[in-house]
Amino acid sequence: NGDDLLQPLESCISDAERFKEAATLELTCTCGAHFAFGGIQESSYYTVTFSGIQCSSCGTQLSSLRVASQLERLIRHHISLYYAGWVECDDVSCGVHTRQVSVYGKRCIGNTGRSVGCKGVISYVYTDRELYNQLLYLESLFDVDKARRQELRPLQDDTENRIRSDSGETKKGISQSTLDALAEQNRDTFGAFQSVVQKYFEQCGRRYVDMASLFNFS
Amino acid sequence: PKKYQFRTMRQKLLDTADVLDEQIDSMAKTLQKHHKIAESDFGNPCIASQFSVYCCGRIVPDSPFAPVELRLNPDSLFLETSRLGGIGQRISIDVQSLAEYSFFPGQIVGFKGKNPSGERFIVEQVLDIPYLGAPVSNKTELLEYKTNLDGSSMKTTVLSGPYTPSTKIDYSLLESFVQKLNTEIKPHSVIMFGPFLDITHPSIRDGSIESVPELQGKKVATLDNFFRAVITPILKKIDSRIQVILIPSTRDSISSHAAYPQNSFERKSLQLPKNFKCFPNPCSFQLNECLIGVSNLDSFKDIKDVNRGKIGDLNRFDRIADHILQQRRYYPCFPGSLKTRKGPDGTVEHICGADLDMPYMGLSELYDVLPDVLIIPSEMRYFVRVVKNVVVINPGYFLTGNNAGTYVTLSVKPPNPEVDDDDLTCINDDDRLYIHNIWKRARVDIINV
Repeated sequence: NGDDLLQPLESCISDAERFKEAATLELTCTCGAHFAFGGIQESSYYTVTFSGIQCSSCGTQLSSLRVASQLERLIRHHISLYYAGWVECDDVSCGVHTRQVSVYGKRCIGNTGRSVGCKGVISYVYTDRELYNQLLYLESLFDVDKARRQELRPLQDDTENRIRSDSGETKKGISQSTLDALAEQNRDTFGAFQSVVQKYFEQCGRRYVDMASLFNFS
Repeated sequence: PKKYQFRTMRQKLLDTADVLDEQIDSMAKTLQKHHKIAESDFGNPCIASQFSVYCCGRIVPDSPFAPVELRLNPDSLFLETSRLGGIGQRISIDVQSLAEYSFFPGQIVGFKGKNPSGERFIVEQVLDIPYLGAPVSNKTELLEYKTNLDGSSMKTTVLSGPYTPSTKIDYSLLESFVQKLNTEIKPHSVIMFGPFLDITHPSIRDGSIESVPELQGKKVATLDNFFRAVITPILKKIDSRIQVILIPSTRDSISSHAAYPQNSFERKSLQLPKNFKCFPNPCSFQLNECLIGVSNLDSFKDIKDVNRGKIGDLNRFDRIADHILQQRRYYPCFPGSLKTRKGPDGTVEHICGADLDMPYMGLSELYDVLPDVLIIPSEMRYFVRVVKNVVVINPGYFLTGNNAGTYVTLSVKPPNPEVDDDDLTCINDDDRLYIHNIWKRARVDIINV
């Protein structure tokens, strides 16, 4: 559609921008604490140590299976949400939000339910582009090279940090040398988490260009 | 199978619409042919007319805001036409003059009636949808199956996940069942439906799956590894002489194809031996002459009809099974079901759903024949019914909540085309083709785990 034409290529924009809308990965620790995991970066709720992710409230190291299971559940949650197939009308005066689809697809069923009258265009609320970006975001969390280059999406909801920096106190970041070391030490474990996301990328239709539709073979 | 290997997460609205449109038009053709109605007698039910017309369409609710969980009522029904039949418009239908009916959202129906004012289509008659034929086998094949069985009945055990209690991950019940399978039940084959490890299980949500005792000392980093470390060893204990058929669920953690229709598991990546076969969801396959249709999506729970008259007094499962056979689709409702949870702050959280990949719903059709046995596991109470000579089975869940559930054993008397009895029906003396009459030869036991 026309809107996308003026956008820069998605792969060229920063993760912070590209993954703005993506849902965060919330991890639950054995102690019951919940926190948003944002990869190897500063957070007051967890620390990435040389041997994995550590909860700040109880000091426990989260096992790989604990992290991977919560990651995979979140992925499946999003795939299922996508397949719920909610659609929406772009005409604000209509506001139809439904899971019913007309035999014309883009035609609005309208408030009357009779599929006449409303000139709005219907589209899926959760698009495959958003789902794809969500998966890419989750994969980026375990991308140790991105972490080293400090290219990860910052943890937005870390309000505590923001207050601290507002009050003039310097926000303590992770030094580059520590970052480099942490990245190398966690490469294998984080790779296993990335493989969980990869499992779904292999299935994801958006990742593969349909050559037949581009060139109209057949 | 190749056809099921489509890529998920790329559903296009126009492709969805094409499928929805085609469902109406192909049923219209079937009805025209069966009832010998001229194409010119079909009309658009949405426009006013003094005469009765025939039409075909989909039952939909009268409002786009109607939640799928809600049961419709007779006054809230609309009929959606195809692009060809009525440029996709929807019209209110009046079913008051019908003595009996059973309608559900997504159902394709044929009507005779008229729309005198242009506002409402008054239904005078519901057109019967013809049933598909029964599968047949020839004499040579049947004799071969008979010899294979050596006089004994063909025995198949059917069970459906979840295989763990709902509050913890524990496969000890499945483990003891495998023992029983090998030493007591001793079937020729076992059909196992997923979920084997349910992705919506609370222990996956909070990560506490890590504390499963079987994992002590093993390094298991992902859920797929968990399957291979904990579930595969249990399944492997099934006697290698028993043929095991695995049907996935869209809630199976091990499946990366999280949509219905769903591709089969990969046997090799599960590290399972050769007596295991992995089939898609849904699909049909033959065990000897017996054609078994399976679908692992809860149609019995999700088809909620509004009904009236004699049909409403029927057993609900008979009625729904009959709809599935008539509609020729394992999961004929649309939109598919949703399971949500309301939080304390009023927010609605999505848990899971039917996860229909609409452009590929053609793969969920029954195609050319009815199955001899139809198995659709359901959260509803277990049952076995014979509907239109099809043995319809819901084995129930292996575990319901934290309690042991049920499984089913299906025994089929071997075919004997040489004896002239009721067991087989010869339909063509020259080709010696026989209808299987599995419903006459089968015995189904529902057994507590």
